[in-house]
Parts: sequence; structure tokens; C-alpha cells
Amino acid sequence: MRGLLTILFLLLTLVPARALVLDRDTVWRGELSFSEPVEVPAGVTLRVEPGSRIRFQGSGLTVLGRVHAREAEFSGAAWTGLVLRGVGVDSLLADCRVSGAATGVRVESGAPRLEGLTVENNRIGIELVRKTDATVSGCRLLRNSRVGLMLKDGATAGVVDCTFEANGRYGAYIYKSKPRRFAGNTFRDEKVALMLSHYGSDPVIEGNCLTGNDTGVMVDRAARPRLVGNEISGNRVGLYCYRRSDPQVAGNRIRDNEIGVLVAYSSYPVLHGNDLADNRLAIRLEYQSIAWERQKGEAARRQESGRGAFGSRPRQTVGESERRAAVREGFIDARDNWWGDEATRRLVDLGADGNPDFIHDGRDQATFEEGGQNWPLDRVRFAPWRGEPVPFKADAGGNP
Amino acid sequence: MKRLFAILITVLLLAACRQGGPSGVAGTLLRGNEPLAQASVEIYLKADKDRSVQPFAVGSTDDEGRYRIELPPGRYFIIGKKRTETADGRPLMLMAECPANPVQVDRGLLQVAPFGLREMGRDGQLVPEPGTGLDGRVVFEGAGVKHAFVYVYTDRELNSVGPGYGAAVETGSDGAFHLDLPSGTFWLAARKRADGSRFGVPRPGDLNASFGPVTLRSGERIDYGEIALKRVSEERYRQKQAEGHFADTGTALTGRLRDSEGTPVAGVRVFAYLDSRMVGKPVHISDPSGGDGRFRLNLVRGGTWYLGARSAFGGPLEPGEWVGTWEGNADHHVEVPDGQVLDLGDFEVREVW
Repeated sequence: MRGLLTILFLLLTLVPARALVLDRDTVWRGELSFSEPVEVPAGVTLRVEPGSRIRFQGSGLTVLGRVHAREAEFSGAAWTGLVLRGVGVDSLLADCRVSGAATGVRVESGAPRLEGLTVENNRIGIELVRKTDATVSGCRLLRNSRVGLMLKDGATAGVVDCTFEANGRYGAYIYKSKPRRFAGNTFRDEKVALMLSHYGSDPVIEGNCLTGNDTGVMVDRAARPRLVGNEISGNRVGLYCYRRSDPQVAGNRIRDNEIGVLVAYSSYPVLHGNDLADNRLAIRLEYQSIAWERQKGEAARRQESGRGAFGSRPRQTVGESERRAAVREGFIDARDNWWGDEATRRLVDLGADGNPDFIHDGRDQATFEEGGQNWPLDRVRFAPWRGEPVPFKADAGGNP
Repeated sequence: MKRLFAILITVLLLAACRQGGPSGVAGTLLRGNEPLAQASVEIYLKADKDRSVQPFAVGSTDDEGRYRIELPPGRYFIIGKKRTETADGRPLMLMAECPANPVQVDRGLLQVAPFGLREMGRDGQLVPEPGTGLDGRVVFEGAGVKHAFVYVYTDRELNSVGPGYGAAVETGSDGAFHLDLPSGTFWLAARKRADGSRFGVPRPGDLNASFGPVTLRSGERIDYGEIALKRVSEERYRQKQAEGHFADTGTALTGRLRDSEGTPVAGVRVFAYLDSRMVGKPVHISDPSGGDGRFRLNLVRGGTWYLGARSAFGGPLEPGEWVGTWEGNADHHVEVPDGQVLDLGDFEVREVW
């Protein structure tokens, strides 16, 4: 290996308290403990052999060169985590366990592969930033105190076949990013399983399974993803559209939730071709009024976004034209969905102008009060409806 | 008596016409033809050759784009700046020198003619002339470097103060770049940051090169050839750090960043501003706090400083970020004796979600 291979074979050795920069290709094997930051500079390869146990005390590992680790364990006390900075597709973390860090694995730019990792009990499990094109596949993100996986800063990473469970606030959080693929992931026992927030978060979310969470998918602040072929079942709220979010929702199975789709604050999702059967309430509108949006929406958003980091600076990161509701008729478009056998029978009796009991909208509650004024609650346009269940592609095997 | 009354009236009128009160500068900043609100106005004592020092005074524009800064009589250089973002989230730096620089302040407020800020960055700030420009290729160890940034400066010294460039382009997959420019003399820098970012001090491991001057005549297009990047060394980085915002001057603030439960928070920087609104570019920035939450913020001098803390360098607050302001005073200021190190004790920050 370029004649400069160094093998560190240390057993519970504490490296002296100074920054350690690996100046040549290095292999880690066995149990190592570091009390100061370790850096792998560009041009240097760090290889971590299977079975290695690497501990950091108040420090962490930053890789600018190349890293190849398989079946290793990275842990520590008050440690910062692993940072992969601008590393290429030839960097690989596979089947490793990363725990106890501020951020388990942070990927800045570059395109490394994270495969089969178990990332648990960190503050943030994996953070993908600065337009990284990383690939995260088959990872388990468990019990991280804030977020299992975070994508931001225009990350275009692929996230496939991962499992998210019991993370503190969010399973996965997509912020101003558009992952090139977000598919085949499983979420359970999360407060919010999948969060998509802010203008620019408009990826395709496809073929994921979100069951047994408080909220399955939350779309917030002008995010406009496409949700296609996802299983969103057994949650308190299946899909929560909040604060001017307009997701396109098609071909999903949104069943057995207490509330299938909750729509609030000037959000106008388009729901077509979904299975919305057997929810206690299929769609509920809250504080949702096109009249309010016309009169107060822009001012409310300006007030909300008009504070800088330290509280005093008017700032507008997204123009109002990007956030203004495109649909301004006061209807939520939920045509062409399957509502279930019994619900469909009731729809047939009620007709297109009826007031089905599985939808809570302006037909049930004419107005709501906000700012000392009553505002008309929007309505759901549910007709025409499907006369038979929507085929769910995942049932046929493979991704929809 | 009538004559005496006339003299008295004349004296009173003259007194009223005279510019009284404090001396300083006042004016309006524009973008295009529109007033530019919440922009910074920086006052320097020297010409642009020495802008790496902190400004002598800083003010900001109101909602009408107006500013008013009290200054002792003297000769000043006025710079307008505003950091903001485009609709798609791209950082945007607006900047311009006052065309009247240097301005002479004597007695009273000097009314400065309105001037417009231009975008420093991707487009709009340097208006290209037809057929005029510069082409080249950014390489490292002989290979083209994709997604590097090439920055064009109209002044050699601006290079040292960050985003004061006049244009910037990103290299293509083969490292090639093409810059459409007006005629003139330019200094250029090419940078490839390992973390992929467009801004920020080049860190160890980043790739960097400066070149120029390049003089272009109108209608002339130059192929500069290859620009070889060099890796920023730890030694060079430390040297630059010691010269800049992090330099130890003997006047400093220390303390411990912690959350509401008293747990130390690592990786958070403390920012010091001269302006109570704490907007724009801070005058001083600390290193990130350590695992014990401890920080040290070196200051160029004592006085009144307004303090904020956050885990990112700039831009909008993002989920997961730590942020806080010094709450020892309602307006977040602290008085620091010259030449002393003042321990603030605990500095609380909160998470943003």
C-alpha cells in the first residue's frame, strides 16, 4: 500500500492529548481510544478493520481523504462524531455502529456511501449537508435524541431502505433539500416520522412505510413534495399539511389513522388516487381559510420570518410569490380517492353536495376565530370518488 | 431701533441656517432606484488598501434606506453592505463604496448623495462588455477540479476581507471556467472547499490559489490556461487565524455556553458586534466552544460589545442549530475594560427546531 502502510495495533491505548493528523495511509485494528481530534487529510486513507472498537473522549474523527470501515464500532463520551468532508464515492462506512455522539455521522459535500450502519443514541444520527450526494442505504437510526437523519443545505443524497425508530423529535428531517431518492424506508414509534420543511423541499417520497407514529409525514412552510405509493397507517395523524404546504399526494395507502390527513394554515394539498379508508377521520381542516390567507397570510408570514438570528433583523429568505397559495378557491382537492366500502355507500346516499362524517371541514364548522375575527373554514372537494379500492403497488411486491 | 431689530433677526436667521448639533454623515442607500432598508454602513479611516481592520464606526439604514452616523470631524471612507438571500436561498452580498469617498466631515451633518449597492457574487455586479472575458481551467495535481469557485476581485486588497468579490463562477466537471467581464484589471482566486461551501475562510485541507493581476481590454478574451490549486496547510491556516478575527490582543471575553438545563454546549461560536442590532458581519468571532462549553472571544479593544452566539457562521437559522444572545443586559451588551479578560460565566443558548 504505497509503501507507507502503518498499522496501529493498540490495546486500550490513550493517544497523547494533542491533535492527531494521520500523515500516511493508516489501518486501525482492535480497541483504540482518542482524547483529541483525529484528522485524515486529503490524499490519506484510513482503513478500520472489522471488529475494531474506536472510542473518542470529547473529540472526533474528521476525514478529508478516504475512509473505509466495515463492522467497526465508534463510540465515546461527549464526542463530536464522524465528519466526512468532501470525500468521494470510494469512502465507505458499512455495517458499523456509531453511538453517543453530538452528530453520529456528518457528511459535508462529497458522495460517500453509508451502508448498513446502526446509528443510535446520538443527538443527531446522520446529518447530510452542503449538497452532498451521499448514499445512505440499509441503515438503522435508533433512539437519537433529536433526529435520526437530517438533510439540509441542498443535499441531494439518496436514502433507501433505512429504518427509523424512537428518535426524539423526528425520524428524518428534510430541510431545503431534494434527495435524489427517498424510498423504501420504514418509520415507527416516532413523534414525527418524516418532516419536510421550507421552500425547496420538493422531493419525491416514494414507497416508504410509516406506521405507529404520532405523525407519519409532516409538510411545513411551503414545502411541496410528491408523496407516492407510501404506506401511512396506524398513526395518530397520517399526513399533516401545515403552514402553506402543498404536497402532491397520489397512490398512497393512508389507513387506520385517527386522522388520515390534517390540513392547517393555508395549506392546499392535492390528494388523488389514494386509499383513505378506515381512518377515524379521513380529512380534518383546522384554521384553514382562503379568506384568512387572502387577508392575513402574507403579513403573518412576513412577521414570522422577519427576525434574524439574534432577533432584530427583518429578513425574507423566500419571496411571497413562492409561498402564496396557488389554489385560491377555498377547496382542498381530494377527488378520485377511495374512502372505504361503508364510506362509499354513505357517499352514494349523500351525493356530491353532502356532508360525509369522515371529513371535518366548513360543512361541519362554518367558521373559526383568529385575531378576534371569524373566518370561514375551507371545504373538501371529494367528488367524484372511486368506487373500488385503489391498487397499492407495494402489495404486488417491490416499490410502487 | 428698527436697524437693531433687523440685525438681530439676521443673526437669528444665520444661526438657524448653520448646521448645529453633532457632526457626522447622513444619506440614503439604494438598490436600483429603491431605498435599501436594514443595510450596514461602515465608516473607515483609510482607503480600501487597509480594509482588513474593523470599521471606525458602523450604522444601518432604516426602512427608508436612510442612515445617520455621528462622527468627529475628519476624513472618512463610506462603504454600504447588506447580506441577504435570494428566493432560492442563495446567499447574496450587496456592497458598494460611496462614490464621494473620501468624505470630509467638518461641522454638522454632511449630507452624502444617495448611492446604490451592487450584488457581489454570481451575477449582476460587473457588467460584462461584449466579447470580453477570461477562460481557464482549475487543476489540482494535474487533474481538473469540478465545483471549485473562481472569484474575481477588482482590488487586490479586497481578497483578504472575504465576500467583497465582484464575480464568481463555479467550475465545470473538467475544471473549466468562463468569466464574462468588463475591461479592467482583476485579481482572482480559485478555491475548492472540502465541505463544498461557497463562503468561509479556507481551512486546512481546502484547495486554494490566487493569481493576477489580469488586465483585459474591451473586446479581449484571454485564455489564462491552467490554475494550479494548492492545499491549505495547518501552519498557514493558523497564521491567518492569528492575524484575523481570532487574534489574541489581550482584551477578551470568556465564558461557558450551556443549554437551559446547564449542560455545556460544544461547537458554538460567540459573535461580537458594535451595532446593537447585531446584524451583518460581526467584528469578532470566537472559535467554536469546546466539549466543556468554554469559549474565548478575543477583541481588538475594550468598550461596548453586543454579543450573540450560534453554531453556524451565518444565514437563516436552521433546525438543530444552537443560538442565543447575551442576557446580562437587556440589549445584550457587555462592557469590557481595555486590556482585560472578562469572564462572563454562563451564556445560555437554545436549540432551534
